[in-house]
Amino acid sequence: MHESNPASTHSRQPTNNDQPTTTPRVLTAFWVLVVQSFQRHWHVKQMGWVSIGLLTLVVVSVAIVTARGRWGLPERPVRRDLSHRQVADQNLLPGRYDVRRYDPAGQPPGVATITPHEIPSPFDPLKDGIQNLILSIPQAVMRSPKFLDDWAFMNFSRWVILGAYFGFVLPMFTLAYASAAFGTERESRSLVWVMTRPIPRSAIYAAKFLGTLPWCVLFGLGGFVVLCLAGGDFGLRAMKLYWPAAVGGTVAFSAMFHLIGAIFKRPVVVGLVYVFFYEALVAALPGSLKLLSLTFYARSLMYNAATTAGYPTNLLDLSQPETTETAWIVLVTATTALTITGMWMFSLLEYRDDV
Amino acid sequence: MSGIGIQPTTLGTLGGQASQPAVSPTPDTPDSRYPLLLFEQVSKWYGSVLALNQVTLSLTGGITGLVGANGAGKSTLLRMANGQLRPTLGRVSVRGIDTWDWRARRLVGYCPDIDAFYEDLSGRRFVWVMARLCGYTRSESTRRTEAVLERVGMRDRADRKLRGYSKGMRQRVKLAQALLHDPELLILDEPLSGIDPIGRQELLDVFQSLAAQGKCLLISSHELEALEKLTNHVAIMARGRIAAVGTLPQIRELLDDHPLSVRIDVDRPRELARLLLAVPEVLSVDIGKAPEPVGLVVKARHPKQFFQAFSRLVVEHQLEVRRLEPLDESVHDILGYLLGGSGKT
Repeated sequence: MHESNPASTHSRQPTNNDQPTTTPRVLTAFWVLVVQSFQRHWHVKQMGWVSIGLLTLVVVSVAIVTARGRWGLPERPVRRDLSHRQVADQNLLPGRYDVRRYDPAGQPPGVATITPHEIPSPFDPLKDGIQNLILSIPQAVMRSPKFLDDWAFMNFSRWVILGAYFGFVLPMFTLAYASAAFGTERESRSLVWVMTRPIPRSAIYAAKFLGTLPWCVLFGLGGFVVLCLAGGDFGLRAMKLYWPAAVGGTVAFSAMFHLIGAIFKRPVVVGLVYVFFYEALVAALPGSLKLLSLTFYARSLMYNAATTAGYPTNLLDLSQPETTETAWIVLVTATTALTITGMWMFSLLEYRDDV
Repeated sequence: MSGIGIQPTTLGTLGGQASQPAVSPTPDTPDSRYPLLLFEQVSKWYGSVLALNQVTLSLTGGITGLVGANGAGKSTLLRMANGQLRPTLGRVSVRGIDTWDWRARRLVGYCPDIDAFYEDLSGRRFVWVMARLCGYTRSESTRRTEAVLERVGMRDRADRKLRGYSKGMRQRVKLAQALLHDPELLILDEPLSGIDPIGRQELLDVFQSLAAQGKCLLISSHELEALEKLTNHVAIMARGRIAAVGTLPQIRELLDDHPLSVRIDVDRPRELARLLLAVPEVLSVDIGKAPEPVGLVVKARHPKQFFQAFSRLVVEHQLEVRRLEPLDESVHDILGYLLGGSGKT
């Protein structure tokens, strides 16, 4: 990827331009621009550090929840200072009949000592029986290892992968790196050097995208891997199951933010509005409007992967997901269409370094 | 500017309206029968602001200075010439190829006025990357990099990081990258800005040698004195229009209605002053101060008629003229007339 440094060869005898020369080739210039764009992205530091800082916060939060075992249902809080396990325990017989009422230590002398389970329901034995029967169902479920494990995994998938990753980490990283392809050069006013080369504008757009994409994938998928590792066993399972959705989402978001970076003067602002207002709102809406959201298709891939693996996906809270085939077709088509649209629009845009 | 009565025109051998062939060239095959740079009734609007107003300009070779006040439209014109901007109306072409077409940029080298680089690169590396982005192979890029660095006098100083360069060195690197692909047309936006006098002379020599090779240089500069040393062919811009284009004396002649200042050293200054005040073309006469009032500064209109009358008086009264010097044929002064001010840009 790294081109040889001409400094090492500058001691050669210089020649002038009148000598026979090789003809310049546009394709050569295109691939040089791809490599140059990739190398220049090493200098995209500001938004990159912001993204890494935010990712660190999310990873630390996930790691703390994982360490406390809070992904599973038993330890999940129902309300403040009260977990599902504690509620379940209270609903067991010993809890339902307040043993303190029959505590011999608190009773007057002469009262017989009895154990709570021996106490009949003195007032409504039928109601008491039905209540016990109903409560026995969740009690049985709560003692099913598969249910508890699946529930914990889907809970992790919902909050960490669907929420934190697709809703926050992935858009932030792709926004930081994809929009910077043109954004940073426009801000530093160095884009003029590329724009005045004999390369078609559409090719400049495409080369910049190809040079940027590895960084987006590196950081997009890197954030995914780090988040999964912070999730322990659930995270490792999620990583194996959802990585295709992460790849599809990363590439599609990169194409979108590259386009935004090319045509808007304030791409980060526009990108943030797009992510946190459009994607967050539209993808969550029922009905057909969500079909306009890229996140929806990435989430559909995730949903289908979990369903195929036999996990109960009702926790993911995704209404009418698309099939895996449809989701891939849409994501690939959207990426291609966004790139072609960007090439076309960029070929019409004037470059002004004074604005 | 329309009141001045100078039509956008092309004068002299440095720039001339070439007759255009009937068949348009294809972008891959530039046609040398077309002017190197041609603006045809070009207008450019930025929203409601008219930056260029029906500009017609044709350049075929040599060095042309582009001067004008800030906001006159110089940068817009230069950016259109290298395809960064496209006209709202009209057409800009290089050898018949629309400058918006990327292939036209093969014929144009552009040295921008902005001072922004990839600061972490060395000068040599930067120029080499620019050569690669022109589509040359590694070895060819290295060869061209060394050649242009040599040409701008930076070959031995190009290994430092750009962020440590002086303004003059940065200007040279900008010029070097513009020369990489050996373009027919060089567009230089303030290339002398920030360069010390010695370096400035060196660059002026480079420009002269490029022009001698048959290159066409369009140079925008506020350094009017330096520009005058380089060329006397200028295009003067004012309020989005080409107010005049041609050699300085030709433009001076066209400014017939505007006063001409002449310094005259003569043996009998007071007598000459009295005689001149009777000439209808003379507007004012200032006599030099003591101790030796030998000089007159005469302000006159209609230069041709004035000089005819002056010659007649010298012969009739046998005056000894020691020195005759027009004071306002510099770009500054002509610009002052055209812009109605001091001529400062």
